[in-house]
Amino acid sequence: MLYALMGLGLSLITGVLNIPNFAHGALFALGAYLLVTTVNVVGNFWLALVLAPVGVALMGLAIEYAGVRRLYAAGHDYQLLFTFGLALIISEGIIVIWGPVGFSHLPPPILRGGLDLGFTFYPKYRLFVMAVAGLLVLATWLFLEKTRYGAIMRAGIENREMVSLLGIDIHWLFTVAFALGAYLAGIAGALTAPIRGINPNMGVDMLGIAFVVVALGGLGNLLGAIAAGLLIGVAQAIVAAYWIEASTAVIFAVMAAVLLVRPQGLFGIR
Amino acid sequence: MSTFSRRDILKMGVGAAAGLGFPAIIRAQQKELVILGIWPATGAFSDVGPILDRGMRMALEERDMKIQGRPVKYIVRDSATQAGAATRRVEEAVDGDGAKFVIGPWSSGVALAVSEVAKRKKVFHYFSGGTEDISGARCHRYSFQWAASPYTAAKTVVDNFMKANPKAKRWHLLVADYAFGWSVEKYIKEVGKTHGLEFVGADRHPLGEREFSNYVQKAAANKPDVVAMINFGLDAVSGAREIFNFGLTPKIPLIMCWSSGVEELVQLTPEIRDNIWVGSNFYYTADTPVAKNFVKNYQAKFGNPPGYAPSAAYGMTRMMLAGFDKAKSVEVQDVIRALEGIEVNDLVGRMRVDAKTHQTLRPFFFMRCKPKSAMKHPTDFADIIATGDTPLPAEYAACKDIGGF
Repeated sequence: MLYALMGLGLSLITGVLNIPNFAHGALFALGAYLLVTTVNVVGNFWLALVLAPVGVALMGLAIEYAGVRRLYAAGHDYQLLFTFGLALIISEGIIVIWGPVGFSHLPPPILRGGLDLGFTFYPKYRLFVMAVAGLLVLATWLFLEKTRYGAIMRAGIENREMVSLLGIDIHWLFTVAFALGAYLAGIAGALTAPIRGINPNMGVDMLGIAFVVVALGGLGNLLGAIAAGLLIGVAQAIVAAYWIEASTAVIFAVMAAVLLVRPQGLFGIR
Repeated sequence: MSTFSRRDILKMGVGAAAGLGFPAIIRAQQKELVILGIWPATGAFSDVGPILDRGMRMALEERDMKIQGRPVKYIVRDSATQAGAATRRVEEAVDGDGAKFVIGPWSSGVALAVSEVAKRKKVFHYFSGGTEDISGARCHRYSFQWAASPYTAAKTVVDNFMKANPKAKRWHLLVADYAFGWSVEKYIKEVGKTHGLEFVGADRHPLGEREFSNYVQKAAANKPDVVAMINFGLDAVSGAREIFNFGLTPKIPLIMCWSSGVEELVQLTPEIRDNIWVGSNFYYTADTPVAKNFVKNYQAKFGNPPGYAPSAAYGMTRMMLAGFDKAKSVEVQDVIRALEGIEVNDLVGRMRVDAKTHQTLRPFFFMRCKPKSAMKHPTDFADIIATGDTPLPAEYAACKDIGGF
């Protein structure tokens, strides 16, 4: 579900803005760091889980407004360089503020330990993350499918010129899409913090997987991102049960296999 | 009457001009002793690269960056924890910068490749890590191993853990899938036989693994009495965290068989550290004069105690310097001959370099992490409960002939 969440955010940005956001992993890491800092300040995990991703969304809003917006006409080379540079700046900023050494953050006491599900033993916090991430994916999906603003975003993915010609402020649409994508990366990072710990490079691994999800689902296809995230997660779990050493490699094997058959991805049309 | 040909005068002129024009360079080239630290600044273990550099630098600074009156030019190159990058950079430093003494890197697999470069280029090489091949099957005259033998480590960990937990017979292993993990796993199993241990599972994970849920799920299903990890750095931290998240620790003990100590423990909360047992080549409460002085200076300079990484870099550099002192020479082969068989009381206590294998024979530490209530300060992670220095038995020794220069 976390893969789906990350892939959905990246797919939204890639689809609406048509830019490769290499800063997505750094925004993921920022979500984790902001969660820990907010917990330390307000002393409440649940409140921090709400506030930290909002902070990342505001950061995303500022990035789009002050930086990405100026590069829409410049071509992919510039956008790629900008977001890649931004990723480095955010990662180095994290080191400057929080230091280079990683640390752990415990789940709230009620979610510590594991549950015996009969067929397997599973941590309570991971079950919570699966539920929250699932709800977030569903909420994002409903927002995009059932609301007017969601419809505009989907239209923006299909044909941004047409949306603009209909009198809709396309720049504001881009800003909101980037902020929403950043929010999804931020909350994925915040939810991941108690599972994987916090370190300045934590976004790098996740960025690779997020791009796999986007490519597998079809560039800019939101349903594809959700399906691909779930597919990769399930494939990883199944392979791990029988051949644990291949549980990371399977992510890329699934992508290679699907792209060989459908180069446009599972749901892609271009 | 002496006669100079036109050619002689031209030669003298060029020589004089070069000497007058670039005296500093000429003097520096004659006197500077170039020593290379090949440490990971990028890639896996990039988090420890800077602190390895600190340790090595501190040892050299204790000598005012001079060896036998000659200034030391300490250069650092990025190993990137990749054999290709590390060997290329070592070769460049040897050929381009004139480095004759190399310390590092921080990964066993990469170190074995660097060791081959040292052999080919005939330069001194000291390494600290878990592979037994540097002082084993791939031993040669130019490379030395500072870390305890994997056998010494395994014997110290298993013997002392079983002494404290005699009923914990069912072990599940999580092993990093590269040279270091294989070496330590082999001896944990060997020593385990003498205690009647049953290894209910042994899963290998790639270097840089961050998702341990699948491994821990499998470990939990085996219902072991103890989980023992043979991995290092962020792999070990991620594994320990996940084992706690699954609720295995603190109910059952977790052993980090070959840990960096402080660098790993500081990344875990006291709750996660509860019932963790740690084997390491160094812990900062080691009761030796050299360790006490080093820890005091390191804490004064950097604000936190040193772990295995800076201590190994410091320790290796000190051993190399001891070789210079004994050799009274700065020639590579003289220093190597001097180090072979040397005995010193140094960082971790009594240390001796086995002339036949180039293995440093030295104590290995075994600690138990403290519960939060027993910690006197934030870095009071563990108590040393035992040390062990049983050397590798002759029947296991793979270095049959270390060869010549």
